[in-house]
Amino acid sequence: MTKRAKLLGFLPGLVGGLTLALFVFGAPAGAYHTDFQGSCNNYFMNLNPITRAESRNYAYSAAAEGYQWGGGCWNTNDRDDSPGDPPGNPNTRGEGPDCSGFTFKAWYERAETPDPWFRYHSLMQNVHGPYTAADFKYGVGAPNITVAKVNTVFADAFASTSHIGMIFWAHTGYNEDRIIEAKCEACGTGTWPRTYRGNPDYSGARRLYWT
Amino acid sequence: MTRSWRWPLAGFVVGSLVGATLLTVNIVGAFVGEPAEVVVGQVDGGFDGEILHTPPLLVPRGQPVELVYEVVCARSADDPGTACSPKGSVHVRGVGEQAFADVQLADDGYGRLSATIGPDHTIGAGFDYYVDIEDGRGGSQSLPPGGHDVPHHAWTVATETTVALGEHVFGHTRAPDEIVERAEWGTGDGELGLSGGQDEARIGPSAFDIGPDGSAVVLDQVNQRLAVYPLGGAPRQLPIPFDGGEGDVAVGGDGTIYVLDDGGSTTPMPIVRSYDAGGRQIAGTPIAEPVADMIRVGPEGPVVHSYPSELWFPTGNAKPPLSPARQSELARPERAVEGGLGVVVHASSGEARLALVRGEDVVHSWLLKSSTDLGEVQLAEPYGDGLLVVVRLWTETQAEFHVLRMSPSRLEASFSVDRAEWAESAAVSRFRLHGDALYQLRSDPSGIELAAFAIGGTR
Repeated sequence: MTKRAKLLGFLPGLVGGLTLALFVFGAPAGAYHTDFQGSCNNYFMNLNPITRAESRNYAYSAAAEGYQWGGGCWNTNDRDDSPGDPPGNPNTRGEGPDCSGFTFKAWYERAETPDPWFRYHSLMQNVHGPYTAADFKYGVGAPNITVAKVNTVFADAFASTSHIGMIFWAHTGYNEDRIIEAKCEACGTGTWPRTYRGNPDYSGARRLYWT
Repeated sequence: MTRSWRWPLAGFVVGSLVGATLLTVNIVGAFVGEPAEVVVGQVDGGFDGEILHTPPLLVPRGQPVELVYEVVCARSADDPGTACSPKGSVHVRGVGEQAFADVQLADDGYGRLSATIGPDHTIGAGFDYYVDIEDGRGGSQSLPPGGHDVPHHAWTVATETTVALGEHVFGHTRAPDEIVERAEWGTGDGELGLSGGQDEARIGPSAFDIGPDGSAVVLDQVNQRLAVYPLGGAPRQLPIPFDGGEGDVAVGGDGTIYVLDDGGSTTPMPIVRSYDAGGRQIAGTPIAEPVADMIRVGPEGPVVHSYPSELWFPTGNAKPPLSPARQSELARPERAVEGGLGVVVHASSGEARLALVRGEDVVHSWLLKSSTDLGEVQLAEPYGDGLLVVVRLWTETQAEFHVLRMSPSRLEASFSVDRAEWAESAAVSRFRLHGDALYQLRSDPSGIELAAFAIGGTR
């Protein structure tokens, strides 16, 4: 057998082997998701009104956890248990809330939009709630109103048509606000200094009936 | 088996092994990442939460000042109920004093703790202070974490130059003198990345800086790369690791590029990585505190502004970087700049105090007063014998940035610029001063650009 014939025989085999290896081992990795939501629950309970501080403490439980578009449950191990999910896909079933679902849960709201009262949602309850960021921006739902940004205080929120974040601590030294928010897949959920207050794309949003 | 199948079979086996090996290396590499730095945790006394506080930094001499704290407590269980009941004391000493005096924090019943520091501590050059908080469930914490060894500091201001801005008239912005660079959104060569979707923030390049040779460096973190625009040369793209969603960038006098990565949900601490001009990583170190928003390069190297202390933490010149513990020991309330000076900023909705300080002395202080609400201070840099400041002015429906060139005696010049913030960038990294030009990172639906404004006056 000549070298040329050997090479002509070897190369198709090499290509075939590479293709098979990539298909067998690579395809499942590409489609891999943690299904974090498979471990979530549906636990909740109705409550009397709570304080803003309790709401902020609740929100803090999600800091350093993940972000999942359309998601709603997280643990408290300070890391995203489903990192790198493709953004904008609720079927990846990863850890964490999205921005509006996070606000819904941290504001102890009820899924029934005419009902303004309070409901504790387990951190691991996989619930998003009925509101989008734009709904909060325009005060949709009985618990929610709009408020002038200049009058906002902690546990109020700044909402645009595509994003919402709650005030964690207002007015830093550089006059930013520290916002607690479910920001993006790469960002996760956490607290960051932001300038939403002075950005006209954002409106002030408030939950009513804190004690 | 006939001889004709030997070589195809050998190729198949080799190909399978190579493919499997490549995948394994790639997957393992993705999880292992760069060599880990040792994170030295703060001594937190079992405290699981965060103390929130905005240092007053610049206070009128001889006037009382209220120190306000709030405490956020992590939930100890996944059920409703009061998380904690914090209480504590502030420890205060005047400049030149050795011992701290204790002042009990008053509780307003809604989690707000406060203490009034009397004129006896503000009649001198300033005072140091720190707080000890107990959370009522066995944990305790100091802020700053270094306690009496690295306390907060407030300078007292005896005289200051007042700049009254009055009611701002919107719609009279100055056009840039030059568009230095422009790029479209995308992932291809020459494009800059944009992320976002429904119920997700729209994020573009986080930040930029101008190097000593005039080249621009844009942090294109969405595409995990730096975009470098050499003065008069062809743009280059340098791949970098980036864990979080946003960050900041600063270029040192030797051309070293420092990238602040907020870490996102990948790591609990922000990270600073340094790169040479070719994009090769030199070193990396975590920051001492869990949230950071700015990196700047001072006379002694890069410094990072971090929370909850709101101090500036030096991270060291490239290699070896400073450990988090060492950063905490060297943290300062002022940002060090050339000439042994420091820049101090404290702003609120109605007024902003800015000062150049040297050690415990205020060299000069300015008080900006505005009838239109002030937003964040985007930039405060020494300029001539004064200060160049960029601050946001806003109403519920409008916003612009206002540029002020201030000498020690007065406001020398000012103009407004369009906010041009269609895509989000890092909170206070939209502007940089280089020489006598102010640069702005601007975005709209079609793309992003670096604009330059000549400042004038004596640099």
